[in-house]
Amino acid sequence: MDRRTFLQMAALGAGTLALPRAARALGDPSRLTVGQVEHGGRWNPRPAALRRLSWELNQRTSIETTGDAVPVRLGRPGLHRHPMLYLAGDGALPAFGEAEVAALRRHLQYGGFLLVDAADGSDGTGFDASVRRELQRLLPSSPLGRIPRDHVLYKSFYLLDQQGGRVLTHPWLEGQVLSGRLAVVYSQNDLGGAWARGPLGEWEYDCTPGGEPQRETALRLGVNIAMYALCTDYKDDAVHLPFILRRRS
Amino acid sequence: MDASYNAWRLAFLAPWPRWVLALLVLAAIAAVLLSWRGLAGEPSAGRKAALLSLRAVAALAALYLLLEPAVQLLQTARVKNRLAVLVDRSRSMNFPIEPGGEARAAAAGHFLAESRIALERAGAELAVEAYGFDRDAWPADLASLARGEPARGGHTDLLRALEAVAGGSSAPGRRLAGVLLLSDGADNGALADGLGPPGRAALKALGVPVNAVAVGSEAPRDLAVERVAADDFAFVRNTVTVEATLRARGFGREDVKLVLRREGAVVAQATVRLEPAKELYTVPLSFAPDTTGTFVLTVATPVLPGEAVAENNARSFVLRVIRDRVRVLLVAGRPSWDERFLRGLLREDPNVDLVSFFILRTAGDNPGPQDQLSLIPFPVTEILGEQLRTFDAVLFVNFAYQPYRSLDIERYLPNLRDYVRGGGAFAMVGGDQSFAEGRYAGTPIGEVLAVDPAEGMGSTAESFRPRLTAEGRRHPVTSLVPGEGANEAAWSALPALPGLNLTAPLGLEGGARVLLEAPTILVRGQPAPVVAVREVGAGRTLAVTTDGSWHWGFVAAEEGLGNRAHQRFWSNALRWLVRDPELTPLQVQPERPSVEPGEPVGLSVSLRGPDYGPAPGARVAAELVSADGSSVARAEGVTGTDGTARLEFPAAPPGAYKVIASAERPGAPPERASAALAVRSSGPEDGDVAPRPQLLREIAEATGGTFSALPRSGLPELKLADPEVVEVGRRRDVPIWDRWWSLALLAAALGAEWMLRRRWGHW
Repeated sequence: MDRRTFLQMAALGAGTLALPRAARALGDPSRLTVGQVEHGGRWNPRPAALRRLSWELNQRTSIETTGDAVPVRLGRPGLHRHPMLYLAGDGALPAFGEAEVAALRRHLQYGGFLLVDAADGSDGTGFDASVRRELQRLLPSSPLGRIPRDHVLYKSFYLLDQQGGRVLTHPWLEGQVLSGRLAVVYSQNDLGGAWARGPLGEWEYDCTPGGEPQRETALRLGVNIAMYALCTDYKDDAVHLPFILRRRS
Repeated sequence: MDASYNAWRLAFLAPWPRWVLALLVLAAIAAVLLSWRGLAGEPSAGRKAALLSLRAVAALAALYLLLEPAVQLLQTARVKNRLAVLVDRSRSMNFPIEPGGEARAAAAGHFLAESRIALERAGAELAVEAYGFDRDAWPADLASLARGEPARGGHTDLLRALEAVAGGSSAPGRRLAGVLLLSDGADNGALADGLGPPGRAALKALGVPVNAVAVGSEAPRDLAVERVAADDFAFVRNTVTVEATLRARGFGREDVKLVLRREGAVVAQATVRLEPAKELYTVPLSFAPDTTGTFVLTVATPVLPGEAVAENNARSFVLRVIRDRVRVLLVAGRPSWDERFLRGLLREDPNVDLVSFFILRTAGDNPGPQDQLSLIPFPVTEILGEQLRTFDAVLFVNFAYQPYRSLDIERYLPNLRDYVRGGGAFAMVGGDQSFAEGRYAGTPIGEVLAVDPAEGMGSTAESFRPRLTAEGRRHPVTSLVPGEGANEAAWSALPALPGLNLTAPLGLEGGARVLLEAPTILVRGQPAPVVAVREVGAGRTLAVTTDGSWHWGFVAAEEGLGNRAHQRFWSNALRWLVRDPELTPLQVQPERPSVEPGEPVGLSVSLRGPDYGPAPGARVAAELVSADGSSVARAEGVTGTDGTARLEFPAAPPGAYKVIASAERPGAPPERASAALAVRSSGPEDGDVAPRPQLLREIAEATGGTFSALPRSGLPELKLADPEVVEVGRRRDVPIWDRWWSLALLAAALGAEWMLRRRWGHW
């Protein structure tokens, strides 16, 4: 066994240790499994991203996940098995069919959550232009708007003041609101690119311009987004405010 | 005079009308004046007077003849007017006339006995009618009133009694000449607050002098809870203030303790410093009711030595304690979809005040530096200790007590069990940290769970479709839509559930009922419970052995069913847990929350069927249970077409009571419901022992009667209106004008005047 082989095996061992803990919930439906929307464009540009986020959720929080994301088609049955959906893309996104828009709208209206991630870091072109068009069709009465800095999303687990991602196209997130809660969160900073980690444990992409702190922020943002999907505005309850204010001061 | 006529009067028989008679009178006066004028030049006063006198006599004689006076003989009959003797027979007449003296009723009796001869003498001219009165007046025998027996009336209404005797009589047509009123004046009717302008006007309208005799002059030593001002209902956990009015007479400077009891337990107290010159004290008593329901509360003072009345030292009232919003504690072991959708549902319910605590990280998690997290310590002492009883319901969603060693949650499990037994509500929702997986078997929580979480049973990830049990088909928790068939169809249409905590059903003797079961998953040979409910002591528990109830909402919505089943199930569950009155098939309601001493207790018992419609023809029973738990009375009945039966208990001794109603329904477990009521220990007659002679004096003055007070000997002077009325029977006119001397007088006067005028040169 040469040195390279040894290092590869050691890395695989570490990866095994890093796998999600043994499932304890009453079957997979009880755990968090993100449904990744399969669309007509490049729908899975960061295949390792959600697995890594799941791993981080298992390591950092009490959330139980199944590990891998499950591909879902908007027009097909089973969409509601996954209340949290992830819509990513690299490049332009073909328009959804009417039935697909209706299915996704119903999902969100009944309490579902959609995280949209522009893997290409585009702004006004590519994925950004096409997904904005689709989101406008999806919830025409609730246009995308910048999520304020004091939103519960930034304190649902970590206290966050910055944005993370592979890039920093914009230092903010946008969202669409339904019945007082964020139903859609949109990042143009390629969160998946910052999360993605190869089978040997190496990060697949560098984070610019902030480097590793920016990646850590992206991971924390991912944790907060998942926590928000599961707990919504729990951290806005009055009982939490004194603690949060003390730590933010 | 003819002996058959017993009266006469002067009459005029002249047939002319009045104006002719007036002209004749004027002519006579003119004749005298003309004579006086003609004598102006007469120097002799004697002559002048003689001539004028003769003219006047002549004019009068002429008038006498023209008017034809006569004596009218009359036959009359005397009708006796009435004298009403009105004697107070209310219970305040049993108090002493003065401290240490005889009872007022006895004093009034003695007075009547002594005055009887005088009244009988008056009976020659007056019809003496005797009445007793309290709230109303009734004819009575004077001799029985004179015996001065103890009085029993629960109210005193002087004005109403006076109006009754003034308006009616046993002998119609006889006019009421006056009233002799014997009372202590302790009115608690229209004149309770004194004689104001309306009362004075009402007394004047009687048109009868009221001769008042005050019985009692000085109040005996007594301490009384005279009034309690409280709202009919209060909000649970909100401070409610009861304002008690204490009346103290005959005491020096001393401290008196006033307590507010709720069904025996003291919930508030205050000390009142009595002053010799002060009678009324208003004392606020505040407390925060900790449970909902209808309660009898009693404000009481100790009975001090020498008090005239012991019964008025306590006053009971009924307070209905309701919730402003249902306060729910939701504790989740980890974020999950089940928690997410349940919390969302509760957050959107305006009737729910939700407090949530989720375990977001465990000791094995490594999120980084603590100061970069928004996490707070789990306030186990506050929520499961001090504040636990402020919650209407506690929900454990996939929450295990055991993994958090540092929190020592196990220490609070007995408190949670006692909270449930004491009337609280608890639900355990499934997951890998619930029931047997949460190691609740053998714990205090295990004692109150609605299922048996036997150790080692574990859980299953096997998908299944739940099925309603016979109990579940009619239970409000599992009623998604009205109608048994429609409800079963609604449940059948819901998506399958993904997994289950394995538990065993409890027997009926434990008060538990399985409502929904997994027919394909057997535990000890029986279908595993999915939803079960249990009555534990005064509380209720719910077990939902799956963490997939969100499938009835979010997943069902994809299949076109909407999320109504999820909403409806949890809404039903919460309402049942906190005993929403609308979900109780049997309801009992006293007709009055406070009953006067000696009055029967009426109540209505309503029963609804499994479909929540009225249940006619059902046998219902009610039991009146005293504060010490003993049964005082029992009544039974059958519900009418509206599902309601009216029952009545005989008069019960003073005190606080629970009414426990029960109903038997074919094929269904017996239903029970309870209510509270108070039988007052003292009525208005016992509240204030003081006589009110001043009120009687004012009544006498307002009606033109006399006022006097006992003790006195003999009947006082009585003012009476129009002593008698004369009726005319037949009459006869005897003329007195057609006598010879009347004409002779006229001729003589005229002749004398003529002769003298000629002699004295006046022609």
